[in-house]
This record gives sequence, structure tokens and C-alpha cells, in this order.
Amino acid sequence: MMRLKTVLTIASLKMFIRQKEAILWTLVLPLFIVFLFGVVSFDGLGTLHVGLVNESAESVEELEAALRTVEALEVSVGGRDEEMAELGRGERDLVVVLEDSPAGSPHGRIRAFGDPEAKPREVQIAALAVQRIFDDRLIESHEIAERILLHVEPVHTRNLRYIDFLIPGVISMSIMQMGIFGVAFGFVSLKKRGILRTLSVTPLKASDFILAQVITRVSVLMLQMGLMVGVGILFLDLRFVGNLFLMALLCLLGAIVFLAIGFALAGIARSEDQVAPLANLISVPMLLLSGVFFSRSNLPEALRAVTEVFPLTFLADGMREVAIEGATIAGVFPQILGLGLWCALAVVAAVKLFRWE
Amino acid sequence: MPDIILDVQNLSKRYNGLVAVDGVSLQVHRQEIFGILGPNGAGKTSTLECIETLRSIDGGSIVVCGVDAASRPAEVKRAIGVQLQSSAYFDRLTLAELLTVLGEIYGRRVDPMALLKEVELGEKSKAYVAQLSGGQKQRFSIAAALVHDPQILFLDEPTTGLDPQARRHLWGVVRRIRSEGKTVLLTTHYMEEAEELCDRVAIMDRGRVVAEASPQELVRRLISGGFKKERVERLANLEDVFLSLTGHALREE
Repeated sequence: MMRLKTVLTIASLKMFIRQKEAILWTLVLPLFIVFLFGVVSFDGLGTLHVGLVNESAESVEELEAALRTVEALEVSVGGRDEEMAELGRGERDLVVVLEDSPAGSPHGRIRAFGDPEAKPREVQIAALAVQRIFDDRLIESHEIAERILLHVEPVHTRNLRYIDFLIPGVISMSIMQMGIFGVAFGFVSLKKRGILRTLSVTPLKASDFILAQVITRVSVLMLQMGLMVGVGILFLDLRFVGNLFLMALLCLLGAIVFLAIGFALAGIARSEDQVAPLANLISVPMLLLSGVFFSRSNLPEALRAVTEVFPLTFLADGMREVAIEGATIAGVFPQILGLGLWCALAVVAAVKLFRWE
Repeated sequence: MPDIILDVQNLSKRYNGLVAVDGVSLQVHRQEIFGILGPNGAGKTSTLECIETLRSIDGGSIVVCGVDAASRPAEVKRAIGVQLQSSAYFDRLTLAELLTVLGEIYGRRVDPMALLKEVELGEKSKAYVAQLSGGQKQRFSIAAALVHDPQILFLDEPTTGLDPQARRHLWGVVRRIRSEGKTVLLTTHYMEEAEELCDRVAIMDRGRVVAEASPQELVRRLISGGFKKERVERLANLEDVFLSLTGHALREE
């Protein structure tokens, strides 16, 4: 009966490929998300943007040059109004204003503006850096001989960027969406339109039909994973050091978990209207809390403990460990174990809840 | 003795205590076109679905092509061809692809073009079901029911919703299938269709068979019982038989 399984799988692949919106959602949208988030930098403390406003009679070229030597600072020079406006828009972390000297005084006031409420770390660090430059200039001008030079020793850091974090997360997200939404909506629609009933007059075994559906979706997911990694490496400078076979194994385990959840939901729901809230109830908390887009390390302790056991957390963490840390199968054993347990649980639920009619 | 391909004895079916089929007995002969007539809710579709093993039976027995339906449903499914009242197919496979896949389900390699030509859809092999008209859809679902060359074909209201031309077209298809040695059992609301097409009919009402004979015989019986039409063109037609047996009141679904 291998032949029937093959024929059914080819037919279901054909149907999938001919479904334009499915291609859009499963292949194009995740790529779009990666590009969007890849362009908008979420790299935490990246470059600090300092605005410099000179209202004094003296030249600030030297000060500006000194500020520019600080790697972490990006310096713009402009008028007070425009720099303050940029600060308001969040385009500056700190604005430094050198005011004109009042009559009789050799120096004007130096004022700094920032929003410590919105950007506590950025403001503090930018202020420290600027302070340091001023100090240096002060020391130089007084020619103090015993000057302490801060020697920075090179330390090797991982220095991962947001895109490296994001791509394995989006791959995991796609696996969840394909399973829960693809299967639950797809099967409820087949049921409602009477297609499953029409098939029930034939000797077709439900297991053969479901197997073909599962193979189709797993193949599409593997293709998508390859595409994301490929695009990531070629266009987004993804630091990919992973073993693709190990990623395929995680993809397969994750797909089984979420496809089984999809089948369970298709069994519970009678119409698309009933699927949507159930599918969202399960997927949205994971989407937000499983560390797909943002690290879970910022979550409150108690919440983080709960998210620890989400299937999407196991999947996303595992993918990330393999893709960007080069973890071996032993390295992701906890994730594989977690996904394995979820597989067992979800398949039991699917078998109990899924109904052909 | 005619060769009996379908033998239903005293069939009963209840849904949550509601009796849908109440002691139905039918014999369908090989290579005949047999019609089940009756108002909505008479139990036609329930009877058909019990025979097709889509529903469990609560009493009686069904033997199709020599196979007991209750104990060997899988074998019955392989032996019969079924067109449901609302057969539906995947919308992203062409007609030819659908027939190929359906054939594989029965372990057969079919010639989709030959099947489509048989129901006069030869030029639509690359179309999707959604692109077909009502009559074409019905003819396609008959082709789909024929992929495994079954000896008996069940058609549930195959002409409902079709215009008169499409309906007559479908009659031609049904007659041709019979001429190839197959048996056809169909349900219909159209008396004219039953009279034209069926060799024998069973009239059902409230879950029971109230008459079973050839249309001509049923009409003859009614007339010999003293029935007269108000305006006589013919003495009576099958429609008169039907209404005298099932009443004139309008039935709702």
C-alpha cells in the first residue's frame, strides 16, 4: 500500500502548492518578518546617539572629534530646536548643549538632556562617555603628568545580533502556525464542506489520509527552514553554525507536536468560527512568551518558570542552541526530551479528540 | 427468479429515539434502475446511508452483492459506487487528478479520460470542480463513483436542483451505465423522472415502504381502484400514485 500513500502525498502537495494564500502565509510572511525585524535594529544597547548643540563663541570641532573617537557614540551636530526635537522623537539618547557665555564669565553652561525614564541605560552610559571626554580635556589642559591610562584588554565576546536570535525563533513560530492553524482550519473546512464525508464512502483509511497530510506539511516546513537559513546567511549575515540534520530533527518533533494539536482542535471544533479562538488561545501566549521575538530573560520570574515548559519554548530554544551556538544532540537533549513528552501528550489528545465527521 | 443484487429485510434505523426507517424491505434486481420515492423526511436518504454502511443499523439485514453490510462494511464499500446528495471534492485537484487519486484508494489505476468521456466531461479533464455547472458536478460525482467499476451504483437525488435539460442529460448517462451491466439505485422527488427512468420504484412514507412495483403497474393499480383525474389527458400518471399514497400536504425539510 506504499503506492497509495505516495499518490495521496503527491496529491496533497499539489493542492498545497496550488493554494496561493498558503504559500504566502507559510513561505513569504516569515521571510518578511525576518527582513522587517532585521532592518529595524533591536540590538539592545547598540549605538548611542548624542546630539551636540553649540551656542558658544568657541569652536567645538575638537570636542566633536573627541566624541567621535568613542566607538559606541554616534554624534550629530545641530541647532538646539532640531536636536531637542530629535530627542523627543527618540532619535537621540542624549543632547549636549554648550551655551553661550554670559557677559563677564569665561565659560557658558554645559547642559545635557535625556529621558532617563524611557532609556535609563542609554542615557546613563552616554552621559558617562561624554563626561569622560570632558575630563580628559580638562586633564590635558592642566598637563597633569601622573595620568592614569585605562588600558582596555581585549575579551572575546559572542556578540550575537538580534537577527541571529530572531531567525531560529521565526522558524519555530512557523512550525507552530502551520500545525495549529494549517491543520485545524484545513480539516474543519474539509469537514464542513462534506469532503471528508464523500471520502468516507470509499475504503480510504483515515490513517493513510492523515499521514499524507502530515508528510506534506513537514516537507513544506523543512523547505521553509532551509529557505530561512539560506536567506539569513546570504542577505542578513546570519551567523549560522548549526547542524541542519539536528535542526531537521527538532523541526520534525515540533511539527508532530503542533500538527497533533491542530488535529485535536479540528476534532473539537465544528466550524472555522470555533477554531479561531481555540487556536489563538493556544498559540498567542506561546508566540509572546516563548522567546520567539524577544528573550524570555526579561519576564518576571514566576511567568518565566511557566514558559519554561511550553512546547514552543523547547523548540525555539533548541533551534537557537543548534543554529547559532552549534550545539550537538547532547547539548539540546533537554529540548528534545521536552518536545518528545509533548509529542506523546499531543498525539494522545489528537487520537482521542479527532473525528473524521 | 430475477437475480437479486440488493436485499434489504426489515431495516430499521433510529436517531435519538426518533424512528427514521421503520421495517423497510426492498429487493433490487441486477441491471435494473430502481427508484426510491418519497416526501422529505420519508427515510430515503437514511435507508441509502444504511445500505452504504455510512450508518449503523438498529434492526433487520442488508445484503449487497452477496455481502452482509452490518458485519463486513469494508467489503461493501469496495463493491458499491456511491454518489452522496452533496458529494464534495478537493478544490485544487483537476477532475483527472481526482479520479486518479480515487482510483488509487481502491487500488486501481484508472483511465480518467475514459471515465470522464463516459459522463460527457471529456473536455473538462483539466478543470477544477468549482468551475463546473450543477449538472456537470453531478455527472462528475457519478464518474467518481465509477472509478472502481462497481456492480451497483447509489445515487441520492442526482437531479435535484438541475434544470430540465441537465436532468434529461443525466438520465442518458444513467441509462448508459445500466446498459453496461450495472445496477442503479436512485432517490428522486421527480415523478416524471421515476416514470421515465426507473424499471421499478419503491414509494416510502414515514420510514416505511408503502408500495413497490413498476411505475406502470402502480398506475394501473390506482386506476383499477376507481381513481379518476379531474381533467383526463391520461387516466393517471405516477404523480397521482405518489400523492394518493403520501398525501397532498406540503412537507418541510
